[in-house]
Amino acid sequence: MTPAGFFTWLWDRLNVFATVFLGIFVEAVPYLLLGTLASGLVEVFLDRDQMSRWISGRPIAAAVSGAFMGMIFPVCECGVVPLTRRLFHKGLPLSAGISFLLAAPVLNPIVILSTAAAFGWGQMLFWRIGLSLLIAIVTGLIFSVEKEAGNVLRPSLTLSNEHIHANPESENSFPGKIREALLITADEFFEMGRYLVFGSVLAAALQTFISQSALLTIGSGPVLSVLVMLGLAVLLSICSTVDAFVALGFVGTFSFGSVLSFLVFGPMVDIKSVLMYLQVFKRRSVFYIVAIPFMMSLLSGLVFNYLFP
Amino acid sequence: MQTRMYRSFQGLLLLGLCIFFAFKAANGQLTWYINSRFIPLTIFGIIFLAVLAQVVFTEIKRSRQHELEAGHDHDHDHAPAPVNLWFMLVPLLIGVLIPARPLTSSAFSTKGLNTNTPLVSADSSVQVFETDSEKRNILDWVKLFNLEENTSQFVGQKASVIGFVYFDESLGEDQFFVSRFVVSCCAADAFALAIPVEWHGTSDLKQDSWVLVKGTIESITLNDKVAPLIVADSVIDAPIPSQPYLFP
Repeated sequence: MTPAGFFTWLWDRLNVFATVFLGIFVEAVPYLLLGTLASGLVEVFLDRDQMSRWISGRPIAAAVSGAFMGMIFPVCECGVVPLTRRLFHKGLPLSAGISFLLAAPVLNPIVILSTAAAFGWGQMLFWRIGLSLLIAIVTGLIFSVEKEAGNVLRPSLTLSNEHIHANPESENSFPGKIREALLITADEFFEMGRYLVFGSVLAAALQTFISQSALLTIGSGPVLSVLVMLGLAVLLSICSTVDAFVALGFVGTFSFGSVLSFLVFGPMVDIKSVLMYLQVFKRRSVFYIVAIPFMMSLLSGLVFNYLFP
Repeated sequence: MQTRMYRSFQGLLLLGLCIFFAFKAANGQLTWYINSRFIPLTIFGIIFLAVLAQVVFTEIKRSRQHELEAGHDHDHDHAPAPVNLWFMLVPLLIGVLIPARPLTSSAFSTKGLNTNTPLVSADSSVQVFETDSEKRNILDWVKLFNLEENTSQFVGQKASVIGFVYFDESLGEDQFFVSRFVVSCCAADAFALAIPVEWHGTSDLKQDSWVLVKGTIESITLNDKVAPLIVADSVIDAPIPSQPYLFP
């Protein structure tokens, strides 16, 4: 390759990178703003006593109710992380928080409607919801074994340190409270946005240099096809509110089981959400939060591929 | 003082993002990045960023007043680490320094090129059927050939599609692909759709230039699947459509 040819090639790659990066970023910012707004409002208007009254301390009840909380807080995977962090701060039990974190990006009205719009009210929607619930609750229950939240969460989230919001002087008037909530929103937008930016850069760079078409051509066979779709879910890093439309493009090329595993695993784990998880949980916990859903999604994909080829 | 510095920078960045998005929305370039159906959401984002910037700037003023009244500098605020702020410069810098361009054929090397697609929700085929053959775009044609068992009924219909030129070794000398990217969500999930065109003036065309192709539909077999081909009557230069991608 001549030097001039190399520079044209590099310039072209850079353009693809910039367009893909801004695509992910522009798409995600409104959702991140909504998530941090929810978090700001929770901080200001919800107190600890209310939380303990609503959410049971018993592991199974907590995990199940956590998984369904997405119906009240319609957030996708960018918004759910700051909100979960805030709810932990307010004393939400571990198992409830983790099942909320994993289930909410699928189990919320917006995502259910968009999945139905893409696939109709049928098998795909039913299994997507069912499996997401199952994985979220199981993961939540596994974490309920850990009695000491400090072993799972980052130190800034445990009770001893109250300073995770910017403005400790609390206001009592309603406009004052709203102002305080918005300031928290602004701070958290940058705190979480940092990982959104980093994750989008990484995803866009991977997409610029790794050939998806090559990935898709090796992706045949009942095992490999599920693995490829799981990898693609992580690589694409698209929002759960719209991934159903993307998944539609793989129907026909890929089996039902592999597309389903894409739809179940993608909202729980992708490049940007893992980076955000690291803000909330200790590294070892993040490993389990990624590994348990991965194993379970892989397993469900395989079961469907072998039972209904 | 330190908190005020942090707040000022934060306010400026919020305003910067707000203006950047608003600028993209105003000149129609948002559809170079995301599917048009998400534009209302971005508009919400623009407004909300402006509100947040306003809140942050008011806070700066308030804290200064507070300080004047108290008569001394008391920094009891616990603002988050300033390093968070620097990251938000990245999207602004990428957006401003790298000239905006919709995806072109240079993305084919990683995104691939499709001549048929299963991308359909079953009910939409009926609409495509009813549209006048010359109003169908590349996505419509590929959809039709993918859905219908009997594709011979389309042979001989008139076609008129806009897309960019792509040369591929798999094609004959007088042939090129006319292609468009299809975007469901954002540029990250874009994939290219292409229809081969037979045209005697192919050698005069330039890679990635936008053209309007008019001609007659033929049916061919590409990669073991039936696909449309256009035998062109005319291929003329066309301006880039205001929405360069197709939205399914």
